[in-house]
Amino acid sequence: MAPNSPPSVPDALYRTLLTRFHVAVLEHVAETRFRLLGEPPPWLVQLYPEAEHQANFSIDTRTPVLHNFLHDAAVAWEAQDNPLARSGFWTDHVLFNEPRHFDALALREGSHRLLLVQHHMESYDEQAALLQEARERALRQHEQDRGHRRTHQVLTTQLADSERSRDDLAAILQRLGLATLLIDGEGHVRFLSDSAIRLLEVPPSSASRAMHWEALLPSSKPDRLALQTLFRQPVSQRERAQCHIETPTGRRLRLEIELHDDPRDSLQRIVFLHDMTDVYHLRRLLELKAHFHDLIGKSRGMRQVYEQIQDLARVDSTVLIEGETGTGKELVARALHQASARRTGPFIAANCAGLTDSLLGSQLFGHKRGAFTGAIDDQPGLFEAAQDGVLFLDEIGDIPHTVQTHLLRVLQEKEVTRLGETKPRKINVRVVTATHHNLSQDVAKGMFRADLFYRIRVARLQLPPLRERKEDIPLLVTSFLTEGRASTGKTIHRPSPAAMAALMEYHWPGNVRELKSTIECAMIHCKGETLDASDLPSDIHQSNPILPPTPPPPTDERSRFVFALGQARGNRTKAARLLGMSRATFYRRLTELDLPPR
Amino acid sequence: MIEKKICMLGAFAVGKTSLVRRFVTSGFSEQYQTTIGVTVDKKSLSVDDRDLTLVLWDLYGEDEFQKLRRSYLRGTAGYLLVLDGLRRATLDIALRIQESVTDELGPVPFVALVNKHDRRVEWELTDQDLAELTQRGWPVLMSSAKTGQGVEDAFATLSRALIQTPPPSSRGDKHDGA
Repeated sequence: MAPNSPPSVPDALYRTLLTRFHVAVLEHVAETRFRLLGEPPPWLVQLYPEAEHQANFSIDTRTPVLHNFLHDAAVAWEAQDNPLARSGFWTDHVLFNEPRHFDALALREGSHRLLLVQHHMESYDEQAALLQEARERALRQHEQDRGHRRTHQVLTTQLADSERSRDDLAAILQRLGLATLLIDGEGHVRFLSDSAIRLLEVPPSSASRAMHWEALLPSSKPDRLALQTLFRQPVSQRERAQCHIETPTGRRLRLEIELHDDPRDSLQRIVFLHDMTDVYHLRRLLELKAHFHDLIGKSRGMRQVYEQIQDLARVDSTVLIEGETGTGKELVARALHQASARRTGPFIAANCAGLTDSLLGSQLFGHKRGAFTGAIDDQPGLFEAAQDGVLFLDEIGDIPHTVQTHLLRVLQEKEVTRLGETKPRKINVRVVTATHHNLSQDVAKGMFRADLFYRIRVARLQLPPLRERKEDIPLLVTSFLTEGRASTGKTIHRPSPAAMAALMEYHWPGNVRELKSTIECAMIHCKGETLDASDLPSDIHQSNPILPPTPPPPTDERSRFVFALGQARGNRTKAARLLGMSRATFYRRLTELDLPPR
Repeated sequence: MIEKKICMLGAFAVGKTSLVRRFVTSGFSEQYQTTIGVTVDKKSLSVDDRDLTLVLWDLYGEDEFQKLRRSYLRGTAGYLLVLDGLRRATLDIALRIQESVTDELGPVPFVALVNKHDRRVEWELTDQDLAELTQRGWPVLMSSAKTGQGVEDAFATLSRALIQTPPPSSRGDKHDGA
């Protein structure tokens, strides 16, 4: 061995390396025939058994990939630049019990055309594991992307569906004209229908913001508290709440607010705003027709009274109010005062009944100290007290004759002289009088001065008795129940149908005053929220109406029947009851008496 | 006995190995096992009363790690171009492979086989995509290596095409005793 030449590889080491790396070195002999250099490894013997005992053997289609590679190998052997050609891996699972992996390398070494076939084990597995992992990762990524795309598609579809549903609902709401809000659990308005925007006059800049409902519905403190309560109440206890709000342009709205739970979210509320402004105003108009100051009634008779009061309020003449007791004469006088230009002046009421000459004279005209026993000081009379206002003299028909004379002078001269004085005092008083007497008859009987009668009766106002305006009874009852609720604290809202029937049936000799005391009395007895007939005084609910004096009933039967029908205003059932017989008997007798059954 | 070299081509994980296994051994495994290099199988069948042995070259799937080695195509009589219906990207790879193979071998018979038909509802490939392949003149079939649906039919269709196509000298068909 030359000192500078590289050491040669010992044959033993060479063989060990080939065995260790599972390489078989074949040298090309001719065509597809090769000569094995070295010992045949077992795997080569399994591929080509003849390699064990033949000097050379042919590589054929038992190893199709290697066989196919021979073409590339031949090209490499013939190339000038002495290249390496690789077959790439192939796997054989036909000739072995389990898959075996190989590849081949072709090269030329001098004149030797070599083919190195390598059986891969660990290196193949390592490479396969790396590739497997990379590809599995790529597949997982693809699945994830698919999942994301599917989710995106589903969400996009759902979004489109929900947007379509929302648009449909909004269109329906638009069509229905419902002013609707959707309020979240924190009180912010999440949705406003166009109708609500128009109704509340919400500026476009605010409509898109999630305003708090209290800012959207600016109301008084009591209304706001009522709405807050409504929001807290369970569904079963909720009723419509009323709320007055003022829009940005100053329009006063009267709303009824209806609250529902959102079925999709228990914290959300759906709110319907019902604009009751017009209804409210119409109701007010109706109430105005049914009320005049403290007078209640919408019957034709009462409406005429209201008109007369308005007419008389425009003039300053003396007025005589006539009507049965309890018909509200003083209320009419007060209404007249309130409706007139004297409303800023005093309203003085005096009851003339039952007072002696001197006492009434002193009360009306005043007195000077020492004018009579007990007159310990100067005292102005009611005329002076009513200066620039109205003096209401009730039961004018009961004043003594001497006072009548004195009163006449006052009315004529428009001045009053206190008792014990000589100098008259100018007065500016409108005198309104009232009586339940028939003053004309009193004048005829000489009990009332005619000149005074004509002086006080410049204008007359006749009040109808309650029995002639029974249609006002429900209104009056409602009003008295309202007053009663305030004073008693009881929650009695209405009379029962039977109670109302009894009230309508009764004759009311004491008129409205009697009705009022009846309701007050019944409310004391009432235990529930509805006034029952049994709560009424017995003379009313036992349906024995005190009828007004009527001519004596006729004695012959036919006339009795005609009379009863007249009393009952043609109502057969009532007429039968008046005659004390059943309806069947009544009808039979009608036929027998040749009276029309209908 | 006519022997024909058939290549299984397509992107990775489209089911080439599974199709061969289903065709040759009637087996199937849910476990994906990537192929490195080539695995060769043989299957004999009778098509139109003619006996035929298919030498099935199951080539690795194409991706950024392994590109098709053209030398493997030498002697190929026809091929199954496999697509995965679940992955639209495999269509683009199939188009590229088909172009490459045509460059290498000329117009040899092939069948485009859209695999994983058992998951048809999840496919990314649309009817429009398949219609476009058909318009290109591709014979398009569908298969499921998992259920076996369409597998025999695909190989039979390709075999029939091979028999009807005259073998050029460059193609690797062999006759016993020739």
